[in-house]
Amino acid sequence: MMRGGKIAVRLLGPGPIGLLCFFAMLLLPLVANPYLLFVGTQLSIFVILAVGLNILVGYCGQLAFSQAAIFGIGAYGAGLLKVHLGWSFLLSVPAGAALACAVGTLIALPALRLYGLYLALATLAFAQFTQWVFLNWERVTFGAGGFRLSRPAFPYFTAGTGTFYIALFVAAILVILAARIIRSRFGRAIIAIRDGEVAAESLGIDLLRYKALAFGLSALYAGVAGGINAMTLGFVAPETYDLFLAVLLKAMIVLGGLGSIAGSVLGAGIVLILLELLRAFKSAQEIVFGAILLSCVLFAPSGLAGYLSTRLDSWRERYVRAFSPLQAGAARDAAEASSSASPVSGNA
Amino acid sequence: MLTYLLLGGLTSGALYALVALGIVLVYKATGTINFAHGEFLMISGFLAYSLYVFAGLPYLISILGAVLLAFLLGAIAERIAFRPLMHANMVSLVLATVGVSFILKGSGRMLWGGRGDYLAFPPLLPPNPIIIGEIILVPQQLVVLAGAMIVMVAFALFFRLTRIGKTMQATADNPKAARLVGIRVEQVHMLAFGVGAAIAGAAAALMAPITLLYPDIGFSLFIKGFAAAVLGGLNSMAGALLGGFLIGVIESLAGGYIATSFLEVSAFIVIMFTLIFKPRGLLGLNAVRRA
Amino acid sequence: MSSLSLRNISVSFGGVAALSDVSLAVAPAEIRGIIGPNGAGKTTLINVVCGLARPDRGSVELNGRTVTGMKPSAIAALGLRRTFQTSSLFGGLTVLENMVTGQHLSTRPRFLATCLAARAVREEERETVERSRRALDFVGMAGFADRLGRELSFGQQRLVEIARALVGEPNTLLMDEPAVGLSLVRLADVDRLLRRIRDERGIAILLVEHVIRLVMEVSDKITVLSSGSVIAEGAPAEVRSDKGVIEAYLGKGYHARGQ
Repeated sequence: MMRGGKIAVRLLGPGPIGLLCFFAMLLLPLVANPYLLFVGTQLSIFVILAVGLNILVGYCGQLAFSQAAIFGIGAYGAGLLKVHLGWSFLLSVPAGAALACAVGTLIALPALRLYGLYLALATLAFAQFTQWVFLNWERVTFGAGGFRLSRPAFPYFTAGTGTFYIALFVAAILVILAARIIRSRFGRAIIAIRDGEVAAESLGIDLLRYKALAFGLSALYAGVAGGINAMTLGFVAPETYDLFLAVLLKAMIVLGGLGSIAGSVLGAGIVLILLELLRAFKSAQEIVFGAILLSCVLFAPSGLAGYLSTRLDSWRERYVRAFSPLQAGAARDAAEASSSASPVSGNA
Repeated sequence: MLTYLLLGGLTSGALYALVALGIVLVYKATGTINFAHGEFLMISGFLAYSLYVFAGLPYLISILGAVLLAFLLGAIAERIAFRPLMHANMVSLVLATVGVSFILKGSGRMLWGGRGDYLAFPPLLPPNPIIIGEIILVPQQLVVLAGAMIVMVAFALFFRLTRIGKTMQATADNPKAARLVGIRVEQVHMLAFGVGAAIAGAAAALMAPITLLYPDIGFSLFIKGFAAAVLGGLNSMAGALLGGFLIGVIESLAGGYIATSFLEVSAFIVIMFTLIFKPRGLLGLNAVRRA
Repeated sequence: MSSLSLRNISVSFGGVAALSDVSLAVAPAEIRGIIGPNGAGKTTLINVVCGLARPDRGSVELNGRTVTGMKPSAIAALGLRRTFQTSSLFGGLTVLENMVTGQHLSTRPRFLATCLAARAVREEERETVERSRRALDFVGMAGFADRLGRELSFGQQRLVEIARALVGEPNTLLMDEPAVGLSLVRLADVDRLLRRIRDERGIAILLVEHVIRLVMEVSDKITVLSSGSVIAEGAPAEVRSDKGVIEAYLGKGYHARGQ
């Protein structure tokens, strides 16, 4: 590859593109109407949800359907603390997230004994149970109608713009954090659990601890997203956090690429765009997202990120940071196998 | 009160038993759970409605049409969402059938009504209740129970006695050996999916006159059917039937004695408890660990 | 003090006794071969030692410490490693990443430092990569660091697995049929490798194997299992001509011709 080409490849990598999108988003409030701003805020929320879910499903291999419900717990937690106890969002959102994280971690305990199918169905049942609690514990959750919240007040910004920026910054931080965590000892441990639990155990990786951490971390992301969602909508109701959302989230991470942080961001974006385009037709939404899920699984199991990684080396995920002298020998071998090898470098 | 609740519970239990039977059949034959199972039920229920109410076809023909369609849907689902992924990992399989379920649900919603539209299927028999001593019966309940029994018996006979049934059993027990003796495993899978869906279709037909049809009913019944299947033991068909009746009764009693809202949630609680504490279920054989 | 000692281990699954009253002791820097006909309980033995199966009776001691009933990850922390019959490389990771994962116990969590990509973390990773390189060199797979686990051939995966087990600097190694499916050339490699592991690192090796040629050549001592019990134990030459052993493999009525 020519030197200019190599630079181009680097520029098209997830890092630079992400940075570009971030700056574009920073400027969005200057040109957008309130509705578009709302969609932009939704994007940040979806990104947080998708990245969090991918940690659990894509990297740790735990097929859980509970993310939407935990998202709801975060939202209800933040909202109810505000409405019943008068807490400000500054306190209630983290508290809601902590509650969501606690519940999510607890799910890990039965998850240790359940695999694949059974885990999926058990978490599905749990999600339905959570939905039922939202609907029926009327004294606390206000039942099917949900409840309203006052929007937060910001100096210099409208509520809409303020929440947009909060969502954007939180999303950016959480995405970078996820990318760092995945490339750490923790990340390698959960990937090992995905690819071979028994072998992982034989190398000293404690299954309970790491699965619980994966569930907890993913739930933390969902909980934070929930609190921000409550803040954005000014309204919390059970139907927002339903099965359809759970399937949407799965579509995001499958489309983007299971086991790719950058992929999840892409997937979130694409799904949101589709959602907006099909806003009027719920039935069409269901068909489209069902079809996306099915076709991705059948034809493109590694999703967009997987496809991009075959074209652009900068999209290939690496889990070890340091440059290794082995690369020289590896390059020789890899040249035989006609795939390009390049120095292992930080790709946060 | 108790007998009333029990009877209601047994009736709905019969339906759950049928749904569970379909789930267990597919599981035994293919090793996977079809998340779209409930949607087969929903679509055939709607089709039966269309045939009976719109096309004016006689009741029995409409039922048969619905069951046939369900069979076809099942076979198609197997061909496109299961067979290509047979050797892929569990995550892919589950997500594929979830995708199918949503495609079907959206289609059902598009063809027969949006959210909040409930279709009422006209009952077969006049709704005047029959009173025997202390027991009050709605005739359609008897139809449901009788119909469900017929389906269960017919299915048991089919599975035990016919050659196809035995082939399915053999394939379920040992796919490799089955292949070696010349059984076309792929066709057996397709048949299993089809028959499983057909049973769901029959359940829809039986159920339609006593409940309202709506697009989300598929998932609701799927969860209850799954609860029944898990409770009975995922690889036991007798367990599916037992589980179905148990869930129906538990649900009815909880709804009657605790609160009506418990009608919905009993199934979820049963699923969670069973999977955590007794994953084998009541009659099941293998453990579900590392399945 | 022995590296590994089993005392009166009995395990049964659903009424069938997989192991009955099995005792053995492996010393440091010893290669102990475990052979026996199919169904003898060899894999169950390995599973009991590494913690995947819990014995109904008996105890397992690693370097004098009782490890019966401990979690596999906890036993690994005490210096035990194993290889598997079927490939256990992490397919989605490269060979190098597999090796780094193998050093999980040698590295520390450092959560906050990781988030900030602190210098200490980068240093540690450099060392980890160095150690990985040396381990891959040891098994002769140095050039494959950047290949994905699932891209390697079966024999290559085997070698990397051994390297991954070694990189954590264990004191005891369990090997479950490492020679399965290997060519003669590779067999010789494995033979040499096992001797080096024993001699250069003083590791105790419990080697379960079907390929008699390998076991006889490389073991210091052999234990023979049949239907869950130990029927012979001793140097390879003794075991080879033991009547009980021949009967177990070939059935009664077989007359050894000369040997």
